[in-house]
Amino acid sequence: MNRRASWRSVLLLSVLLLPVGTAQAQDVERFPGVSLGLTYETRYQPPLAILPFTGRFGGQEVASRVEAIIARDLRYSNRFVIMDSLPANVVGEEVDYGLWDQMGVDWLLTGRVEGSGEGYVLVLELHDVVFREVADQGRFAIPRQESEHFRMASHIASDAVVWWAFEEPGMAASRIAFSRMGDDGNQELWMVDSDGENLRRITNFGTTTLSPDWSPDGRRVVYSSYKTGLPRVYELNLETGEERQVPAPRSGDYITPSYHPDGERVVFSVVGGGQSGLYTYNIAEGCCMESLTQSRWEDISPRFSPSGDRITFNSNRLGLGVPQIYTMSASGGQPQLVSPFIYGQPSYFTSPDWSAVGDRIAFHGRAERGQPYQILVAEVGGGNNRVVQLTFTGRNEDPSWAPDGRHLVASGERSWGRGLFVVDAVTGNVRQLLTGVRAQVPAWSPSLAPRVEQQLRTTSH
Amino acid sequence: MHSRLILVAFLVASVPLTACRREQPPPPPPPAEETTEETTQPQQPDDDNDAAAERARAIAEARSILEERVHFPFDESTITPETEQLLLQKVEVLQASPNVQLRIEGHCDERGSVEYNLALGNRRAEAVRQFLMDYGISGDRLQTVSHGKERPLAPESNETAWAQNRRAEFIVTAGGDQINPPS
Repeated sequence: MNRRASWRSVLLLSVLLLPVGTAQAQDVERFPGVSLGLTYETRYQPPLAILPFTGRFGGQEVASRVEAIIARDLRYSNRFVIMDSLPANVVGEEVDYGLWDQMGVDWLLTGRVEGSGEGYVLVLELHDVVFREVADQGRFAIPRQESEHFRMASHIASDAVVWWAFEEPGMAASRIAFSRMGDDGNQELWMVDSDGENLRRITNFGTTTLSPDWSPDGRRVVYSSYKTGLPRVYELNLETGEERQVPAPRSGDYITPSYHPDGERVVFSVVGGGQSGLYTYNIAEGCCMESLTQSRWEDISPRFSPSGDRITFNSNRLGLGVPQIYTMSASGGQPQLVSPFIYGQPSYFTSPDWSAVGDRIAFHGRAERGQPYQILVAEVGGGNNRVVQLTFTGRNEDPSWAPDGRHLVASGERSWGRGLFVVDAVTGNVRQLLTGVRAQVPAWSPSLAPRVEQQLRTTSH
Repeated sequence: MHSRLILVAFLVASVPLTACRREQPPPPPPPAEETTEETTQPQQPDDDNDAAAERARAIAEARSILEERVHFPFDESTITPETEQLLLQKVEVLQASPNVQLRIEGHCDERGSVEYNLALGNRRAEAVRQFLMDYGISGDRLQTVSHGKERPLAPESNETAWAQNRRAEFIVTAGGDQINPPS
């Protein structure tokens, strides 16, 4: 992207971004030893114009819908300044690079939807206005509007645009699973698309079901449920409906499961019965329960690093009643403190999640009793351990990383209501994903593109 | 403690006479145990009903002692003196009712995270279980489970509601028809 750092970027940086930074430094509670601010260096957001999508051979009937989905995805990506309300005279088959350059646009997206067999093909072109060429293009299968994959197929195209422009993964083609409390006091698992659409229930157990986590292939979720009266760990195959249970050879509560990156093993906590600890179990093969930690303290909420060689978890092993975040070798051994604990401070940190991109662990906590929870991010790569505070307003809990490694979903509350929020660790931008629902412990899926593309192929041929 | 001992003494003296009758309610066949033969005078149906009613009342009270909730301080699993009194009463019922098994459910108030409160609720349930075991109740009869903050009694967000929600609940999971008053 260095080649695009034109005078425009300098102007935008000075005008748009500096005031944001200074506003955040004010009127917020501080965590001792924690710097305020954003996880990444602030980046230039190139202006992107989206021309109205055209249609052929019947594609015109869905062109504007597909365009609307993609335009919103790209806005939600927080990577571009999206140019709306384009002048009518610019709409045409030929792209006038000189005109767009004068308007200050770096990227221009054009799309054409063509009817094809049972569905459509979307032809996307991303134009580099500065270099006056098509930077990249692609053809995307879009099923009929009635198909459950219609929106997700459009999201896949959105992520392709992000990849073309930045060579970084997007997060549009993904979902968020979470526990939702009903009026009866039970909690079922629900999920919603990354853009807040397509809200629907996954389970109907009539009990408390918590802590969902997605398998790396996006086909399964693992969670704990009180179906038998005691919390046990289960896996549900979202495509077949098949459910498997992690056996419970010893007494205790089996809680807070998550997947190993191999997709076969799950790691979870067994709490109670005098000894608590972390265990792994190969749920694909139905074997091989292994103990990682054992103590009289509670080690909970384990999450593997993307490579699988380390693990982060939450523990009260300090014995001071204030849980902290640790990392440890995945084979066990001496844990290292990650959260900004200072002796004598009642600082409380829980719910770690290791980003799939980069060595970052997000968690939530507070410095003093009574303070609302805020999201913090620890950078654990390369020997340094910098922690930054990411959110500053309302209540923010249980962060989960998006597959793009920069967005996080959290449950929370603002003055206007509670729900799920999406926070961008680069810009600090906060988007409301769901409001008016009692949602908690959200889990962001990996990219669902491989899974959906495979299903589109099997249904269309 | 004195009043409790007196109560125990009273119950020891009075209850065993009718204990066996509960299993085989009147009318006869008469109970087989010798003690019953020796000590039970022929009774009128009215007296019989009175004794049965008294027995039923004592059993109901024993059950409510077993099921009475106990509460905890903020962010702690400490057994307070009030909780200790309630747990000692449960010990007596459990000693008199060897077939009764309990599930101890630990609960938290809404402050704190979902998953960490599962651990904290478990510490509370385990603290109660350990207390009962220290008084001789077999751990095999006592199962624990944490519900974290997911099953509040009071939905409000204030000190009263939080104090109510920081609790252990007791569910009779076996031997519910064999609860005996303290003996």
